[in-house]
Amino acid sequence: MEKTFRVEHKRGDTLDSFTFHGNIDALAELCLRELPALVGRPAVTIDFSNAGRINSMGIALLLRCLKAIREEKKAEITLDGLNQMTSMLFKMTGVFLLATQAK
Amino acid sequence: MHSNRTILAIFKDYEDAAFWSNLLRDVPGVVRVTAGDNPASILESLRQTGMEATLTIISTKLYPLNSQEIIPIVRKNFPATEFLLVSSSQEAAPPLQPLIKDGVRHLVIDPVGPDKGSQMVRAVRKLMEKSPWKMGDYLFSGASVHEFRISSSEQKEELISAIGGLIPGDSEEAEMLREKGALLADEMLENAMYGAPRDESGGKIFQKGEKRAMLPGERIVFRFGFDGETLAMEVADGWGSLSPETVMEHLEPEQEGGEVAGDWGGRGLFILWRFLDQLHISITPGRQTVVGGHIRLTTTEDPLTTPRGFHISTFN
Repeated sequence: MEKTFRVEHKRGDTLDSFTFHGNIDALAELCLRELPALVGRPAVTIDFSNAGRINSMGIALLLRCLKAIREEKKAEITLDGLNQMTSMLFKMTGVFLLATQAK
Repeated sequence: MHSNRTILAIFKDYEDAAFWSNLLRDVPGVVRVTAGDNPASILESLRQTGMEATLTIISTKLYPLNSQEIIPIVRKNFPATEFLLVSSSQEAAPPLQPLIKDGVRHLVIDPVGPDKGSQMVRAVRKLMEKSPWKMGDYLFSGASVHEFRISSSEQKEELISAIGGLIPGDSEEAEMLREKGALLADEMLENAMYGAPRDESGGKIFQKGEKRAMLPGERIVFRFGFDGETLAMEVADGWGSLSPETVMEHLEPEQEGGEVAGDWGGRGLFILWRFLDQLHISITPGRQTVVGGHIRLTTTEDPLTTPRGFHISTFN
C-alpha cells in the first residue's frame, strides 16, 4: 500500500471518477483542496479501495472537500471501495451525511 | 463513626443494586443507597455521622436519565467526592451533556470480558489510591510493554508499523485490530506532537503535517503492548496542556456534516474514545498529559453505538 497520498481522475460523459491512493492525513491537504475544481459532471465517485489509513485530520479535509463538491459543483457523491474500518469511521464522523456509500 | 475513606454507591432501586452487588462484594467499605429511599435525607444523615465519601459510585440506571439532581445532592454533602458512573454493557450509553455539565469524568462499562476482572473494581481501586492508570493494568501479567521516546515526527510510521507487527494472524479480527491500532496510534502521536505543544498564549506551536524534531527538553514517550487478547497503548507528552473540560466537550459526536473544526484534536479525541474499549487521559497541568487506552481483539461491536468508558483524571 502506498503511503503518500495521490489522486487519479477520469472524466466520463456524466461522471467524474476519482481514485484515492495512500494515507489520508494532513499531507493530503493540497490534493483535497484542489479536487473540487476538477469536478465538471453532476455525479462523482470516489474509490477508496487503494486508500490507506484515514486519520482525524484526513477526515476533516475530506469533509471540507465533499462539502465543496456538493455546494459549489452541485454534484452527487458516491464513495466506493470502503472497507469495514473506513465505513465505521465515516459513519461516526458524518461523512455519509455528504456522500452515499456505493452498494 | 465511618472511616474517612468511605465509598458511597447510589442505585436506582433494589434491582439495580442487586445487579452490582456481586462486583461490589470485592470492594470493602461501601455504603449503599437506593434513590427510592429519599437519598437527600439519607446522605445528610450520613454526613452528620462524620462520613466523608471519597468516591461516589452512581449507576447509569439512576443518573443522568432518572435523576439529574443526584450529583448536586451528593456534592452538597460531600464536596470533595469523586464520581464514578457505572453502566452495564447491556444498557444504552448515557447522554454526555449532563456529565459534561456536572463534571463527571469517570465512566466504566461492566462487565466487559472474562479473565481480566471487573472494570468497575479496577476503577474503584485506582480512584481510591488516586493513582494513574497504567497499561499493564489491562494486559496479562508478563506481557511486554514496548517503550519509545520520540525524537522526530518522522518516526510515526515506523512506530505504527511496529504495533501491527505485534498482532499475529490472518483472521478478520486480527486484521481489524491492526487497522484500529494503527489509527489509534496515529491519533495519539499526532495529538502529542502537534496538539499538545503550546506557546505562552496557548496557541499551537506546530501545524499538523509539518516535519518536526522534538524541542530541547521536550519529552514524548509512546508505549504499547499486546498480550494475545488486548492491545494497550498510550502516549505521554511533557506539556500537560489539555484540560478535562476540553476533553469532555470533544467526546460529543460531531455529526454536523462538513463542518471543518478549527481544532483538529477534537475529532481525534472522539475517534480515540469510540474505538477504544476504555479511554484514559491523565493530566498533570503544565507538566504531562497521558492519553491511552486498550482495545480487545474480540471487540467487534459498532464503535458508534456501543457504550464506551472513559477516565479523565487530573493530578497535581
